[in-house]
Amino acid sequence: MTQKLELTDIQGNVLRAYGRFGYPVARYVFFNIRDDRKGRAFVDAISKRVTTAVEWGDGPGQIKQPDWTLNIAFAYQALKELGVPRSSLIGFSPEFISGMKDRRDILGDDGPSSPEHWDPIWCSNRVERDKDIHIFISLNARLPQFLLEAYQWLLGEVDKTGGGVVQLDGHRGDNGEILPYQDSHIVMENGQPTAKEHFGYTDGISDPVFEGVPYDEARLPGRGKQMPNGKWAPLATGEFILGHVDEAHEYPPAPEPVLLSRNGTYMIYRKLHENVGTFEAYLEEHGSKFPGGKELLAAKFVGRWRDNGAPLVSAPDTAAKAKFDADFAAADAKTKDKMLSDFTYDNDMSGGKCPFSAHIRRINPRASLEMVRGDKPGAMKISTDAFDTPGALTNRRRLLRRGLPYGEVKDRTRDDGNHGIVIMMLNADINRQFEFVQQQWVNYGNDFIAANDKEIILGNHSVDDKLPSKAVLQVEPDSNEAPYILPKIPRFVETRGGEYFFVPSMTALRMIAKGVVDPT
Amino acid sequence: MSNIAGKAYAMNVITPIKSYWAWINKLIFWAAIKFPGALTGLITLSLIHYARWVILKDSEFPHLAKEQPKEKLHYTYMLFFSNFNGSWDQYVDSFTFAIPGGLDLFWKWNIRYPKSVTLTPFHKYIRYNQIETIHYYSAYPLAAANDVKAAKQVKTALTQFHQDSQTLSDDEFMAGYKTLLRGLQHDLGDMYPTPIVTMAAYEVQERKYKHEREQAALAGGENG
Repeated sequence: MTQKLELTDIQGNVLRAYGRFGYPVARYVFFNIRDDRKGRAFVDAISKRVTTAVEWGDGPGQIKQPDWTLNIAFAYQALKELGVPRSSLIGFSPEFISGMKDRRDILGDDGPSSPEHWDPIWCSNRVERDKDIHIFISLNARLPQFLLEAYQWLLGEVDKTGGGVVQLDGHRGDNGEILPYQDSHIVMENGQPTAKEHFGYTDGISDPVFEGVPYDEARLPGRGKQMPNGKWAPLATGEFILGHVDEAHEYPPAPEPVLLSRNGTYMIYRKLHENVGTFEAYLEEHGSKFPGGKELLAAKFVGRWRDNGAPLVSAPDTAAKAKFDADFAAADAKTKDKMLSDFTYDNDMSGGKCPFSAHIRRINPRASLEMVRGDKPGAMKISTDAFDTPGALTNRRRLLRRGLPYGEVKDRTRDDGNHGIVIMMLNADINRQFEFVQQQWVNYGNDFIAANDKEIILGNHSVDDKLPSKAVLQVEPDSNEAPYILPKIPRFVETRGGEYFFVPSMTALRMIAKGVVDPT
Repeated sequence: MSNIAGKAYAMNVITPIKSYWAWINKLIFWAAIKFPGALTGLITLSLIHYARWVILKDSEFPHLAKEQPKEKLHYTYMLFFSNFNGSWDQYVDSFTFAIPGGLDLFWKWNIRYPKSVTLTPFHKYIRYNQIETIHYYSAYPLAAANDVKAAKQVKTALTQFHQDSQTLSDDEFMAGYKTLLRGLQHDLGDMYPTPIVTMAAYEVQERKYKHEREQAALAGGENG
């Protein structure tokens, strides 16, 4: 790493997925500003407890790992309310200014995912001024009691504003009740904490690694950008943090002054409901017909086996999986991590192992888009040296992923429980990164030579029988098999709310709190 | 006016080039056609229907009628014409990420060409020199370039299989059918309407449909 980032200026949630650092529970709280002066005083008070990305340690002069963390972000209206000048506001990205609801047709939030079905707090956002979502605050804690402690502290600060800042109501809870906060937590399995979501998949393995993050150095293989020599290099910082050079060798578009944008980023908050009953029924129905059986089929949906996250390109069938499992069990933590993340699609260009519509291949195709038709019918191959760099079409479409599952599955045959994921994605350019991946790779398939076929798990599969959704699970071109075609894929995941936020640096946060932002 | 028809986008870019450099560009185009290996990057970008570069001398601009005023041109021009799938950003970005060297080679001698990296000056150069499409028609609005190629593969393979399978036993037929599907496993995507290219383009389209419906209703009323 050539450059270490200013860790005390960057908010902690930008560089750390807290779940992985020993914080299994979280609470997200949203606020509306009623008085700009009181609003700034609130932001000022909060800024003193914001967790930065600083390195933790128990030694002398080091900062101890906190029992709970706090991070803050603003929707566009908040910046207006807090007095950020127009000349600065116009520098924010148009998508951030418009907001997520306005972008629903781009994002494919239709049918059961359309905004009228979102949780009440999201329905009234940008409809009624006094219910606009302005401030987002996230609390992550090492134990449930620390989360309560953090929340009590936060409520105390809200109280002090004397109505100048109001906590917004309207998140659906476990029993349909309406709550003033959104809770999330890791999923427990047989009393043990897991990194799984409610369909049973291990989540968040391939979070990108980029230049300047000291605690990510060992995690580089498979998570940076794939280089021509087969090695991995960290992505450019400017793909994820404003004010730094990006993969196009320039600074990403950002508002002025530089102090307002540098070390800040954009956050995409999405509450995604998981239709567990529909998923189980569909998996059962096709698992009984699929040649490799139910668990292999489940792995084909995502590109990883459900039990331990083994990538299909490394463990393409039951026999290879048994070998992988034996090696995995014997490996130390670092090797385990490498086994899960360090792979390419170079030996699977045709998709016989990991299908082209599998979740991980669509979200992060690595170098696999540098492809042309292969020599055998049904084969694809690497188009050697076609591009400047193998990941040319992928490196500018990466997203940092944060967040945790919410709720609990009480009945695996039903969809209507309270269960899903709160996902927070971070990037420097909402349009180029998040929206592109969501629209072109999740809800469309042309880059994967798959016409309109969508990503299997997250795709906004049509509820209209006239436009059924399907996916082709490819086989090895030199085998005797036929591809398995998944017909009439139902919608497994539905959007239940979301918004675009700006995550300021500590410097910007203090400037906003003091009302001194001035690009002159 | 729209640069969009169905799943395709039409891009016309006309950039000035000094006439003595234009000869070098012609030589490069000739070499690119002679040695198509140089175009591997372009061919690998599967979102492209078509791309063409042409050198136009100042005397080669169309003069359609006597009444058309004669323009005084100081340069030779390079016309770049392309049809592709997806958005302007997606296309231009794919070009600069994937084949920056190739772009620089083709545009290098053009007046004020900024190089393809960094991105923003390149974006501005293309935008500034782009000519908007006045009329654009797509006979197959659901088809991307990949879909056309896939459909042709499916038709050829299916016709062939039909011919070859007339006398097969059940088992042979099944094996042949599996081989057919395996061979077509990257050609079976469903064709549905295009994703929205931009919100602006979407809103223009919606207004147009609304207008057409109103006109149709009006015409129906008159006839009735």
